[in-house]
Amino acid sequence: MNAELSRRALLAGGGAAAAVLAAGPVGARIPPSSLQPLIGPGYRPTDADELGMWQQMQRVEEEVAGSNLLVKDEGLNRYLQGLIGKVGGPAARDMRIYLARIPDFNAVMFPTGFSVIFTGLLLRMRDEAQLAGVIAHESSHFLLKHQIRQWRDTKRRTDVLSFATMLGGMAGGAAGIYTGDLAQLAQLGTILTLLRYNRQLEAEADALGIKLIAGTGYDPLSMSETWGQLIGEVELSARVRRKRPDRGYSIFSTHPAPRERMIDLRQSAAELKVPGRSYDRGRERYLQAIGGIRPTLFDDQVKLNDAGATRYIVETLAKDGWNGQLRFTEGESLRLQNADALQDRAALSYAAAVAYPDAPADAWRWHGIFLMKAGRRDEGRAALQRYLALAPSAPDAPFVRQMLVS
Amino acid sequence: MRRSLVLAAVGASLMTSGCVQTRQYADLQFAPPQGDYKLLVLRPDVQVGSVTTGGLVEPRADWTEQARANVIAALRAQQGGRGGETLIMERRDSLAGVPPEQVAEIERLNAAVSQSIALHKYSGATLPTKRRRGLEYTLGEDAVRFGQRTGYDYALFLHAEDSFASTGRVALQVLGIAGCAIGFCAPNIGGAGQFAYASLVDLKTGEVVWFNVLQAGSQIAGIKMGDIRSPAGSAQMVDRLLGRMKAGREVRRAQAAQRRSQ
Repeated sequence: MNAELSRRALLAGGGAAAAVLAAGPVGARIPPSSLQPLIGPGYRPTDADELGMWQQMQRVEEEVAGSNLLVKDEGLNRYLQGLIGKVGGPAARDMRIYLARIPDFNAVMFPTGFSVIFTGLLLRMRDEAQLAGVIAHESSHFLLKHQIRQWRDTKRRTDVLSFATMLGGMAGGAAGIYTGDLAQLAQLGTILTLLRYNRQLEAEADALGIKLIAGTGYDPLSMSETWGQLIGEVELSARVRRKRPDRGYSIFSTHPAPRERMIDLRQSAAELKVPGRSYDRGRERYLQAIGGIRPTLFDDQVKLNDAGATRYIVETLAKDGWNGQLRFTEGESLRLQNADALQDRAALSYAAAVAYPDAPADAWRWHGIFLMKAGRRDEGRAALQRYLALAPSAPDAPFVRQMLVS
Repeated sequence: MRRSLVLAAVGASLMTSGCVQTRQYADLQFAPPQGDYKLLVLRPDVQVGSVTTGGLVEPRADWTEQARANVIAALRAQQGGRGGETLIMERRDSLAGVPPEQVAEIERLNAAVSQSIALHKYSGATLPTKRRRGLEYTLGEDAVRFGQRTGYDYALFLHAEDSFASTGRVALQVLGIAGCAIGFCAPNIGGAGQFAYASLVDLKTGEVVWFNVLQAGSQIAGIKMGDIRSPAGSAQMVDRLLGRMKAGREVRRAQAAQRRSQ
């Protein structure tokens, strides 16, 4: 966030026109067949800069591994570890994966081969193939030694810039010209090329990642779907808030534009798919693995108070069929927007939710309350009784019992 | 992340050219531990890097290892001279009977409080309610329980980092100084130096009783004010940081009054 602000501040300096020139056109798609992992199993650094980076990361991993944000579900952690072991290429056995309870659409890879997956990602993935795509992308950052390559590139560019600034200044000084402004433009140019390198790395990770999942038999199309979902969510979230979507792919963006990535990945998928071979989606396996924490995932999302995003997620997941949890989440999001016009729709969602066998107890509770409000007391009481039967020790159970007595 | 915030905040407030600076705060009633006390030093956090030509700090594993060993040795020697019983934890699990998670928790708590101290005591965002009241911060009951569990009287947290200008950086500096002759003067590009802070927590009350920040460096790349990679340099850093622990204001006033009445 901060980085973005300062980038914006830079732009404000009037360097915008120069910036566009300096950034140039974004690179073409990288064919997956052109990439090979740069490291084998059991990789250990030998260069001084990489050794330093690894040492620093040891402490970072210790912090991450001991963080109270981690989800402690053992089965799920084993499942994720198994997944990275499947699509992690030659370093599959060396990589570690941590699941953090952060309701954001994200995952990160650290230079020493450990990855942090956010729970928000698990909420949004429709099946194992989609999740495998994200994990393979992150693994590719490690397999292609991206962090150290990025660091070396940064170092080289800032080194050159320092000398150029100094020499430029001296030349200007000798000629009696003040070069301060020019130096600033040169600095902007350096930042831009750094970011372009970054986009290049992201595109590489996409290309190797899709190759990895196709190789292990997952549908390679799943990766472009994930980007389609991200774009759709960002747009609906903005529309509901009556804002312009933050597209996040200005010239300063570190990642390639989502739409471009989606298109490139779709093309790569077509290239990689072997006709006649059947590809796995693993939806059942996936749902079973996240089953234990799924209600929490929905709950965390609803509490972000981002109605558009929640609606998009619910509707996307409902493409595989509606169920009680999805309808309940839809109802929660509508109800909590606290607009009179939406309360009827919330009531409908709760009513729809309780028709499914997997409806959470809370769906019965709200269904009952809305029925009571509508004056349908007998039906309301029945629904609340069902709630009490499902959740006899809920914090508000005594209160609900009192309601039913009176 | 937390560490870099502390660093940035404090670095900005102590920015001066070519010097060694410390600034300590103490609880008003703080008296430096003397005699028979038990001190626990939590995992000293040491980092040493090289400053690239462009001014980035690149961590160096070998230097860091060297410095960490030397800082620990220097701490041991320094505390030995004070009369207390000191245990320096090299790892989170090096305290028998205390699970590493509890050590991690107290470390994180201290990091959060230190960040607050850095912000309100060192980077200018002073709080009107805390003016002239010394150091008024506490780790709370958690630290008291930690003290009861471990049997220690004080906990000391220490972070130290050092960096050294690379050849390229020094060359750039030479150019900058040479440029002065022709009207483009950059005599102090800087970029290497020492930074350390320590906080002492009284495990009987949970309060942070003493906090000190040390900055040693010059604005001229290539000129150093210390080197924690060497045993002598580590001893010097530990002495600068912990050697002149001042008592709190009320204690000093009482001592002064006592001296006057004698």
